[in-house]
Amino acid sequence: MNTQPLVTLVPWTMIAQFLNLMIQLFLIKKFLFKPVNDILEKRRQLTDQAIREAREAKEEADGLKTQYESGIAKAREEAARIMQDAQREAQGRADDLVHEAQAKAAGIKAQAEADIAQERKKAINEVKNEIGGLAMDIAGKVVEKEIDEADHKRLIDDFIKNVGEAS
Amino acid sequence: MEFDISGAKIFARIPTGIPVLGDILITETLVVSWIVMLIITGLCIFLTRNLKVEKISKRQAVAEMIVEAATNLVRNNTGGTKFDNLIPFVSTIFATSIVSNLISLIPIFRSPTADLSTEASWAILVFIMITANKIKAGGLLGYMKGFTEPIPVMTPFNILSELATPVSMACRHFGNILSGIVINGLIYAALAIASGALLGLIPGAVGDFLSHIPILSVGLPAVLSVYFDWFTGAMQAFIFTMLTIMYIANAAEG
Repeated sequence: MNTQPLVTLVPWTMIAQFLNLMIQLFLIKKFLFKPVNDILEKRRQLTDQAIREAREAKEEADGLKTQYESGIAKAREEAARIMQDAQREAQGRADDLVHEAQAKAAGIKAQAEADIAQERKKAINEVKNEIGGLAMDIAGKVVEKEIDEADHKRLIDDFIKNVGEAS
Repeated sequence: MEFDISGAKIFARIPTGIPVLGDILITETLVVSWIVMLIITGLCIFLTRNLKVEKISKRQAVAEMIVEAATNLVRNNTGGTKFDNLIPFVSTIFATSIVSNLISLIPIFRSPTADLSTEASWAILVFIMITANKIKAGGLLGYMKGFTEPIPVMTPFNILSELATPVSMACRHFGNILSGIVINGLIYAALAIASGALLGLIPGAVGDFLSHIPILSVGLPAVLSVYFDWFTGAMQAFIFTMLTIMYIANAAEG
């Protein structure tokens, strides 16, 4: 079999090798670079998307957080207000009760005093009447001998009458 | 014992009658080149089957690693993404070169890169790209003017140095691969002679028979092949690729 010289330049071989290189370039582009770069790009997009979504989720969560925090703060304020109101109301009611009780106690005291005064007056009156009767009795006993039977009778009747009127 | 190293075998000769180009020769170089192309393309298809975005296979990891390595090599050496469309070309040169260099490890194949025509066509292509980039960067006039710098007297030398670029690229690559072939051939021949002489000391028919078996060829060439085939093959592919990137990047800077 023929061989070509060890060091030689064959024009057609050069052209063929050039074409081979171009074909190889096309094949490598088509079968290695295009699919791999596509997949790398796809992965990059996926990663970007994941990052973007995470950022969005975080923003949303932050928004919700501030919303909740403001809500909680508002609720706390409301609770404090209600508590204050309730305290004030309770205080008011307690004051009212105390006042009422004081008023009632004052009323009872006044009534009792009035009763006592009336009883005293009544007792004094009774005592006065009793003393009047006794005076009459004693006076009758003293003057018994000096008056006659008729006077005596009239006096007794008067006395009885007086006693009857007094009682 | 005869020892000679010849060029690539010619399988067929197609006469064309065109004066300068001559006959088309279907040589070992071309046939093995096609095999190399099949290997590279097959490898690409194999590596990029079933590409997935998540939970990638080892094959896909290798494919992505190759693409990223090529991308990084070009970007790091040109300093930016300006030459991204050069990445597949550079990778093609590297892949073709390294597979061509290493295919000679299979004894029935002769490296296509052991034929100067192969490297010459690559180098001329690179030279055309360099020139195109220079003209694009500085305009045709600027390109022409570049030869007269720093002083007009330098013009012939500048032209010479410009032409030396593809010549040196082609010859460097070719020479290294050829030297590997030559040295390997010499070593095999020498070891065959040595074992013939050694075993020929055995008297009688046994010695005659054994002296034809190059027993000493086992072992030593394999060790030397690590340097002359593996290292040189990979190194030259890398050098050719690096030079391609550097020259084109420099050309585009103007």
